[in-house]
Amino acid sequence: MNTTGSVTATTILEVRDLGVRLPTGEGPRQIIDGVDISLAQGEALGLVGESGSGKSTTLRSIVRLLPKGAEIDGRVTLAGADVLTLPDPALRRLRGTEVAVVFQDPRVHINPLRSVGDFLIENLVDVQQRPRREAESTVRDILRSVGISDADRRMRQRPYELSGGLLQRVMIAAALATGPKLILADEPTTALDVTTQEEVMAILDEERRARGLAMLFISHDLDLADAVCDRIAVMKDGTIVEELGAEGLRQHATHDYTRALIAARPTLDPAHTVPAGQPDSSTDEPVLSVRDLRKVYRVRPTTGRAREDFVAVEGISFDLRPGGSLAVVGESGSGKSTTAGMIVGLTRPTGGQVVIGGESYANTRLGAKQRRARGRKVQMVFQDPYSSLDRRQTVRDCLREVLDVHGHVPVAQRDDRVDELIAQVGLTSTHARSLPRHLSGGQRQRVAIARALAADPSVLILDEALSALDVSVQAQVIDLLVRIREETGVALLFISHDLPVVAHISDEVLVMHRGLVVESGPVHEVLREPREDYTRELIDSVPREGWTPRRRSSRLATNQGVS
Amino acid sequence: MTELSKVAVRKRQPLLLRRFATMTPLIRIASAVLLLIVLAAVLAPLIAPHDPTTPNALDSFGGPSGSHLLGADASGRDLLSRLIYGARLSLAGPAVVVLLMVPVGVLLALLAAWRGGITDGVISRVIDILFAFPGLILAIVAVAMFGAGFWAPVIALTVSYVPVLARVLRSVALKERNLPYVAALQVQGVSAIRIAVRHLIPNLLPMITVQAGVAFGYAMLDLAAISYLGLGLQPPTADWGVMVSEGQSSVIEGFPQESLYAAVMVLVTVVCINLIGGWFAERHDISEADL
Repeated sequence: MNTTGSVTATTILEVRDLGVRLPTGEGPRQIIDGVDISLAQGEALGLVGESGSGKSTTLRSIVRLLPKGAEIDGRVTLAGADVLTLPDPALRRLRGTEVAVVFQDPRVHINPLRSVGDFLIENLVDVQQRPRREAESTVRDILRSVGISDADRRMRQRPYELSGGLLQRVMIAAALATGPKLILADEPTTALDVTTQEEVMAILDEERRARGLAMLFISHDLDLADAVCDRIAVMKDGTIVEELGAEGLRQHATHDYTRALIAARPTLDPAHTVPAGQPDSSTDEPVLSVRDLRKVYRVRPTTGRAREDFVAVEGISFDLRPGGSLAVVGESGSGKSTTAGMIVGLTRPTGGQVVIGGESYANTRLGAKQRRARGRKVQMVFQDPYSSLDRRQTVRDCLREVLDVHGHVPVAQRDDRVDELIAQVGLTSTHARSLPRHLSGGQRQRVAIARALAADPSVLILDEALSALDVSVQAQVIDLLVRIREETGVALLFISHDLPVVAHISDEVLVMHRGLVVESGPVHEVLREPREDYTRELIDSVPREGWTPRRRSSRLATNQGVS
Repeated sequence: MTELSKVAVRKRQPLLLRRFATMTPLIRIASAVLLLIVLAAVLAPLIAPHDPTTPNALDSFGGPSGSHLLGADASGRDLLSRLIYGARLSLAGPAVVVLLMVPVGVLLALLAAWRGGITDGVISRVIDILFAFPGLILAIVAVAMFGAGFWAPVIALTVSYVPVLARVLRSVALKERNLPYVAALQVQGVSAIRIAVRHLIPNLLPMITVQAGVAFGYAMLDLAAISYLGLGLQPPTADWGVMVSEGQSSVIEGFPQESLYAAVMVLVTVVCINLIGGWFAERHDISEADL
């Protein structure tokens, strides 16, 4: 693909020696350095890398969507046009006709004030000057092909009335409607649930192939990119370190970084998962016991006056034994985070009980002393490493505050205990004086874990605590958690949607769906031989070697009757 | 006067000493001018050449001279001395408004954001109702009820500014309160008061400071207007608003200096404060839309 010379007739996109510098507080920083990309008609290239590798910046350079002050050099040829020197009107036409972008979060890329239909036809009417009637019928056809059957109703709706998965299909429909030759997809399914991801990827993949479009697909998920692309380019620190054919990716990878990426990603393969932990000592009194826990929210519907009940968690029960590791898995809206909130006392249960270390908590209000006592027993690490620390507190102050609040460590030993905690989560004393903004996402999550451990809890809840981290960082934090569990004997309650990670960290698993537990048991059994269809669906939708996304039109009632 | 110096010191130290290096030239000038005005107010008895209230019929309408650098007013009082002394009450008024307004506004905002539900509903509705009263009208009513002077307009303005502050702070406090680090502290069992004092307020401080600066400027203009209307401080007290009012009749007699000087002082002070406030907001990523 690196042949020099003139652009052949079938080449859609040709990027040569692309370099991008973005302005920062300390002067311009080189984000992209010498990137070459070549895409033929109908070909799909996956651009894979961790956050900060420059993959999104590469994509944005192709359509010149970089922030003000960005310095670009090199050459980008898109459908025969030299993008970097194109005058604005021609660039706009190019964007509106030859290329389309599907972004990660459709909700922030679709104007919330305008109807979905307006959004879809905007480009056709404004840029391509087509009559409105014709544009509407084009759009309607495309909506059907992306699996939205009640197109007329959807087109009248506003973005907030649609779920994330539906909205991403709208985004794909908008991309297809202009009849482009190239689709740029920037992590289009990262914000979606795993089953929705499969559905959306299947649609994108099928429609792209059917129309013979080229695609530049950006993802942090090697397996996902592998499944829908012909070639994979691995990016690190602004350069492409290795380019591979999608077939036999794992066998042919030669670059250390690619191999590390492949190795870091946990797989569902039971052979790779941890052994089932300590033998089940069922004689032990459970350290955490949840009985018939329920949460009902009263919601005001958008129309009508009467309030409706929304059942977030519908009577779930489980036990966690001392030193055990239990995972609660499920999609967004399954009630798993609500359950975690009720266990730690952030959310008041509507009914049922939480028994922690022999103490029973129901829906009564607790005094300050009781809340602290509860905090000594159960702690939680949150999903977003960027906002789960006070941005004005140094690491040391943050940990010290917990010790001061609980007072369980004698004053004279508190400084030592802080150092101990910092070392325990794999940080050094230089980090102790840092503010959160000087730490990476992984380091912040380590601080959050240290803060939770500072109270010496017997239960540690991790609410999607690894989801926002890059795979290599994720692998390190998984190792850390496994080690901490061995060292301190803390029991882990792991809330996650990520089955491969769960397979590596937990002994037992609880599958939640719409506020109910649908299946539970030892991790290796449930993952190998799921009894419930829903569990199987969850497992099947996880991208892995040799996996291809499939459409499951049965999942959405609105899809029935559509081919 | 003690409130005045407290505000001055607290506001200036971080601004001038620690952050001097990061200031643009314009902000340095604005800070220097403001510092001069505050110093003049504090040191008035030492630097003013004359007593600001003693009339001297011989000097009436005297032009600039050796003993009266800026001339004298209709009663022959030294204008420079009146401007210097005037800075005291003209700064003290807005300073007291800000000092009274900030604790009340912060408390209301935090209560509404923390408790949510009915508490938030009640506070927000009360704020909405208070919004309906313009500060000046409220001040006029207050003066009618309690008599003219320093306190009635100051209290009235405080009452009319609190809702503005509380509403802005409530929305930022709500955002802050919903960050996971607050939930993490709650899980630890940290009390609401400690979370508010140790975490929420320090994180909201840039916003509080900017809002206080904006309010200071508005209060200065409003208080000057109230004095001008004769509802605030009364002659012969030295105050910029009073001077604008008093100098008004002399304008027709071809003697515009008194009103002009006092008005310029108000203008310069407010512009300096707004410039510094804008710079501070920019440094802390507070967008214009939030102001």
